[in-house]
Amino acid sequence: MNILVFTKRVAATQEEELRILDEGKTVDLSKVPFKVNDWDNYAIEEAVRIVEKSGGAVTAVSIGDAESDEVLRRAIAMGAKDGLLIETGDALHDPAARSGMIRNFIQKENVPFDVIFTGVQSEDDQFGCVGGILAAILKLPYSSMVVGIDSVEAGHMVVRRELEGGLQERVKISTPCVLSIQSGINEPRYVSIMGIRKASKVERKVFKAGGYSEGADAKIEVVKWTYPPKKGGAMMLSGELDDMCGQLLGILKEKGVYQ
Amino acid sequence: MSYTLIVADVRQGVFGEANLDSLGIASLLGKEVYLVVPEGAYEMNEKMADAVVKVKAAEEVFLNPLNMGNILEQVFGAHGKPGHLVFCHSSSGAESAAYAAGLFGFPVITDVSGYDRERGVFLKSYYSDKIFGEFKAAGDGPCVITVRSGSFRESVLEKSFTARVEAIENVEIAAGRTFIEYVEEEKSDIDITKAEFLLSVGRGVGNQDEIPSYEELAGTLKAVLSGSRPVIDKLWLPKARQVGTSGKTVKPKVYLAMGISGAFQHIAGMKDSDCIIAVNKDAEAPIFQYAHYGIVADIHKVRDKLKEIAKA
Ligand SMILES: Cc1cc2nc3c(=O)[nH]c(=O)nc-3n(C[C@H](O)[C@H](O)[C@H](O)COP(=O)(O)OP(=O)(O)OC[C@H]3O[C@@H](n4cnc5c(N)ncnc54)[C@H](O)[C@@H]3O)c2cc1C
Ligand SMILES: Nc1ncnc2c1ncn2[C@@H]1O[C@H](COP(=O)(O)O)[C@@H](O)[C@H]1O
Repeated sequence: MNILVFTKRVAATQEEELRILDEGKTVDLSKVPFKVNDWDNYAIEEAVRIVEKSGGAVTAVSIGDAESDEVLRRAIAMGAKDGLLIETGDALHDPAARSGMIRNFIQKENVPFDVIFTGVQSEDDQFGCVGGILAAILKLPYSSMVVGIDSVEAGHMVVRRELEGGLQERVKISTPCVLSIQSGINEPRYVSIMGIRKASKVERKVFKAGGYSEGADAKIEVVKWTYPPKKGGAMMLSGELDDMCGQLLGILKEKGVYQ
Repeated sequence: MSYTLIVADVRQGVFGEANLDSLGIASLLGKEVYLVVPEGAYEMNEKMADAVVKVKAAEEVFLNPLNMGNILEQVFGAHGKPGHLVFCHSSSGAESAAYAAGLFGFPVITDVSGYDRERGVFLKSYYSDKIFGEFKAAGDGPCVITVRSGSFRESVLEKSFTARVEAIENVEIAAGRTFIEYVEEEKSDIDITKAEFLLSVGRGVGNQDEIPSYEELAGTLKAVLSGSRPVIDKLWLPKARQVGTSGKTVKPKVYLAMGISGAFQHIAGMKDSDCIIAVNKDAEAPIFQYAHYGIVADIHKVRDKLKEIAKA
C-alpha cells in the first residue's frame, strides 16, 4: 500500500519567550529552534510500520520554505522512500489554502496513493483542519484522532478514534481515505544524526508552490497577533531554591495534604 | 435573514456541557440561533435556541462527518446558508467542522476562545497558548468555527420561549465510514480522580529515567503521581494516570504540576482543583495563568530540594 504522509516543520516554542513585532503584524521566531511537528512524527512511524509489514511505500510531503527539507530527511531516515517539498516562502496560515494546494499538487503531479496520513494538528497553529478539508475536497472518507489501526484489508481499514475521557470508537473506513493520526498511537523510532545524514543521500524533489495555488486562496486572515489574555495569574514564590521549596511545603501543610 | 447554526455534540446519550460554549458564542454573534441535534431521550434546555432541528438518526450517524454534509444541505435548503456554523472543538466537532468546511468551501477558524463583537474578530490560540491571533474570514460568510470548551458558557442567554422544533426525517448515510462499537478504557487499580493530592509531571521531566525519582517524591509527599499527555503517550506512565480532555478530569485539594506548559486540553482536566501549584522553568508558561502559586525553576532541582527538606 502506498501511503502519502504530510509532515510540517514547526517552531519549538514551549520554552521560548515569544515577542510580537510591527504592532501585531509578526511574531518574532528568528531565535526559536525548529523541529518536526510531533503529531506528524507519529503519522510517519505508523505509515512506515504498515509498509514494513505489508509492502508498498511511504512518501513524505511538506509545504514550507527550503528549510523544511529537514523534516523530509528525517522522514526518510525513519523509512519513507521519497520526500517531496512544495516550496513556498509564505506562511500559509489558512488550512484551507494548504489543503487546496495539496489537492492541486496531488492531481497535477499524479501522485499515487492508497491512503493519506496527516497529524491531528500542527503544534504551531493548532488548527487540526488540513486532513479533514483535504479529505472533503478529494471526496474521500475521513477519520481524525486515529489512535489505533486494527486491520488493513483490501478496500477498507478498521481504525480506533479517540473521543473524550478515555473513550474510543471503532470505525470501518473504505480506502482510499484520509486519516489524521493522534499522538501515542505508537512509539516513534529514534532517529540518529547519522541516520539523517544517510537519508540526505536520497534525492528529495522540490516543487514550486506557485504552480498549485489556483483555487487555493486564503479564506481567512490574521488581523493581528496578541499576547494571551491575562487570567487570574499565580502568586509567584520567590527567593532561593530553599526558600521557595520551604514555602511550597508550607502551602501543602496549610491545605492539609501534607504533615 | 442570516442566522447562526450550531451543530450539537451528543455522545452516548448526553448533551455535552461543551455545547454551552457554542450557544454562548451564538448569543454574542447576535443572530437567530438554530441548533441541530440528533433525536434522542437526553435532556437539554430548549430555551437556549430559537429553533431546534431534530435529526432522525442515531447519534453515531449524526456524529459521522461523512453524513454531516447531507444534514447541513437539508438545513441550508430550508433556511439558506447561515452566517456562522458553530461546532465544539471536541474530537467529533473538530472532525466534522473541517470536513464540512472542505465540502462547502467555507472558511474555517478552529479552537476559538474569544470574540470581539465590535471588530468582528475571533481570538484563536497559537504556539500552545503563548500567542493568540485575531482572525477574520474573508467575505460575509458563512464561516465555520469550533469553540474551545469553557470559553463562552457565561454568555448563554436563556430565552423567554421554548425553541420551535423542526425535523429532518431522512439522512443519506454515507458508505465510506461506519461505526462499529465503542471501546472503553481498560480498568485500572489506581483512580487519580479520587486522590486529594496529585503530583503531575509533564514533558519537562525530560526522559523516562527520571520517572522513578518523581514516584519517590510522590511517595514522600503522600501524593499520587499523574501526568500530561506526552508522558502517557511515551508510556512513561499508564493511561489511567493521564489528566486532561482525553484522560481524566480531576479536582484534588492540591494539584502540583511540574514541567507542564498548560495546553487547554490539560487545563480543562484540572482547572477546578482547590489549589494549583505550578513549577516550570519558563516564566511565560501558560499554566501560570491558571495556577494559584508558581515557582520558576528547574523541576529536577525542586524535586531534589523537596526530598531533602521533607526528609530532614
Ligand atoms: C485531541 C487532543 C487531546 C489532547 N488531550 C490531552 C490530555 O488529555 N491531556 C494533556 O495533558 N494533553 C492533551 N493533549 C496535548 C496538549 O495539546 C499538549 O500537547 C500537552 O498537554 C503538552 O504537555 P506538556 O505540558 O507536558 O508538554 P509541553 O507543552 O512540551 O511543556 C513542557 C513544559 O515543561 C517545561 N520544562 C521543560 N524542562 C523543564 C525543566 N527542567 N524544569 C522546569 N520546567 C521544564 C517547559 O518550559 C514547558 O513549559 C491533547 C491534544 C489533542 C490535540
Ligand atoms: N505546511 C504543511 N506541510 C505539511 N503538512 C502539513 C502542513 N500543514 C499542515 N500539515 C499536515 O496537516 C496536519 C494538521 O495541520 P493543521 O490543520 O495545521 O493543524 C499536520 O499534522 C500535518 O500532517
